[in-house]
Amino acid sequence: MSATRSPEGSGTNEPRLAVYVCQCGGNIGDYIDTQHVIDVVRDLPGVQVARDAMFTCSDSNQQEMIDDIARESLDGFVVACCSPKLHTFTFRGVAERAGVNPYRVTQVNLREQCSWTHTDDPAGATRKAIRLVTAGVARACHGTALEPVQVSTTPCVAVIGGGVAGMRAAIGLADVGLDVCLVELEAELGGWTGRFGELFPRGVSGRALVRRMRQEIASRPGIEVLTGARVVGKSGTYGNYRVTIAIGDATTERTVGQIVVATGFDAYEPVAGEFGYGSPGVVTLPEFRRLLDETDGPIVHDGRTVRSIAYIYCVGSRTDGHAYCSRYCCSAAAQASLLVADRDPDLQQYHLYRDLRTYGRNEVLFGESRRRGSYYLRFADDDPPQVSVDGEGVSITVHDLLTAGAELTVAADLLVLVTGMVPRPEDDLIAALKLPVGRDGFLNEIHPKLRPVETVVDGVLIAGACQAPKTVAESVASGMAAAAQAAAVLKRGVASLDPQVAIVHDAACDGCGECVAACPFGAIALAGSDGHAVATISASGCKGCGACTPVCPIGAIDLQGYTDEQVRAMIVGLLDGGVR
Amino acid sequence: MSTLIGPALAADLRRRGGFDAQACMGCGYCTAACPLGIDMLPRRLFRYVLFGMDAEVRAELETVFSCLLCRACEQSCPAGVHITDNVRTLRGWLLEEGR
Repeated sequence: MSATRSPEGSGTNEPRLAVYVCQCGGNIGDYIDTQHVIDVVRDLPGVQVARDAMFTCSDSNQQEMIDDIARESLDGFVVACCSPKLHTFTFRGVAERAGVNPYRVTQVNLREQCSWTHTDDPAGATRKAIRLVTAGVARACHGTALEPVQVSTTPCVAVIGGGVAGMRAAIGLADVGLDVCLVELEAELGGWTGRFGELFPRGVSGRALVRRMRQEIASRPGIEVLTGARVVGKSGTYGNYRVTIAIGDATTERTVGQIVVATGFDAYEPVAGEFGYGSPGVVTLPEFRRLLDETDGPIVHDGRTVRSIAYIYCVGSRTDGHAYCSRYCCSAAAQASLLVADRDPDLQQYHLYRDLRTYGRNEVLFGESRRRGSYYLRFADDDPPQVSVDGEGVSITVHDLLTAGAELTVAADLLVLVTGMVPRPEDDLIAALKLPVGRDGFLNEIHPKLRPVETVVDGVLIAGACQAPKTVAESVASGMAAAAQAAAVLKRGVASLDPQVAIVHDAACDGCGECVAACPFGAIALAGSDGHAVATISASGCKGCGACTPVCPIGAIDLQGYTDEQVRAMIVGLLDGGVR
Repeated sequence: MSTLIGPALAADLRRRGGFDAQACMGCGYCTAACPLGIDMLPRRLFRYVLFGMDAEVRAELETVFSCLLCRACEQSCPAGVHITDNVRTLRGWLLEEGR
């Protein structure tokens, strides 16, 4: 499959163009004399309309552009404004609404690359603007209409990680009719949730939740479950990836259209001595949950009945190296105290916290915990509790901000360190899929609000606590979001890709192979018959980076939208604009 | 000087008069509403009771008996603490055991 090339306006017939120069309020207009630029470029070949505007991106100006295109029967336009990173899609949208091919829009960067960089020299900035716009018009004169590259996609998704997020994603994908390959590192599905008893809210046990999801997965023949397995490689192109999966010493491959990464989190492991960790009577929250989940009746630890418990919150969260809040732990500790109160109402419980974030409905857990006798003491960020451990139990000294900073000592039989979530060390998977990792070590989405499950790697989605600390409910929601996003791509059966990709002029190519070596995406191969091998570029594998075009010794490769002809015309335009 | 905290005093006062210090969340609306401007009542005092800080409670004898029992604080309390009932219970404890 390759991008098609329309003959209209391909250089020989002069296209009909408009030029818009944006003042961007004062961002451009305070430094560049936009009216002068317009007066100079008005007479360039092909220019039918030229005007400036306070904000070219405004709704009213967009409508004026659409009206100009209709009235003057224009083929395209040049808009000299901000960076293409900001408004490429805005102005392509204008073109589409006006019935013009969106790739006939040329954006010239007058703000970041001219007015903002030459605030000390308005006259010089104006002269440079004339050169840049002249070059833009020259490029537009040699522009062509392009149509999106269409690739058919494989209706199967690889889901990496069989915790609640991955399991829920797999079920959702199967329900919309897509095949799933669910890859789990452990011997069975379930992840963290599968090890826990009662979870907030509503108190259903994690084991029961996971049991139900395992049954749902088993009842869906479209889901293939691989356990004791890890993804070790990825090849192929958008919509048709080959993932390599290692199971023990063997490897196998699957072809998939999308990949969902749901590899979860690790519990923070305190260092020895941190709040007494490593001493008898000091445990982490997951260790304490195991104690609660695996026993009944009065709480017994190390052979002794526990009469009092202290909790220290924010251990391994909101500190150096782990600047984030782990979100689930305040609610989980408050809920654990309720489980304790159910089993032993007279057991004393002291919660030492920095800030309580039992957000949303979990606030009820905090209120209930206080009502049932838990004491809450608040310490300052820079004044954490001091822990000392002797044979009798654990002694914790704290300055309680809610008691006017009074120094209080809590004697407890058991100290629970309310530990947060840390990213899993998935270096091999991160390398294999080129996953984007944030400063905190969790995987990064493209946009935290509007594109929360997509990554900058096309076709690779993230779900669950590999992205950031999440509760079970939040992990399940993001698993379903990833399923919806994967399905939105794959249920169409074809994907539309950017046509600004490299093409080979077959007749000219002599098959030297320089471009094959230059391509960072492995998208070029030598192929052909009759002894004449030529470079063949996969339109879906090409990212339009342009690395191949300059290395071709005979100029047989062009990057669509940035052809050699266009670039030469721009250079002439830059020089020509200097004498106007 | 660090105080070892324990539940005995709060349990004693709960038995005496349903003392409900636990419900207080320390917001300070009561202090703002007090027509006498008694800044001790009730949030810090209730914390002393909660943690069994007998000496600190005894030291507030004057404050506890200065209260008008006007209930302005109770009207303002978002947590519905029975502040004046608690004060009455405290007065009883101070009279019988506190000296």
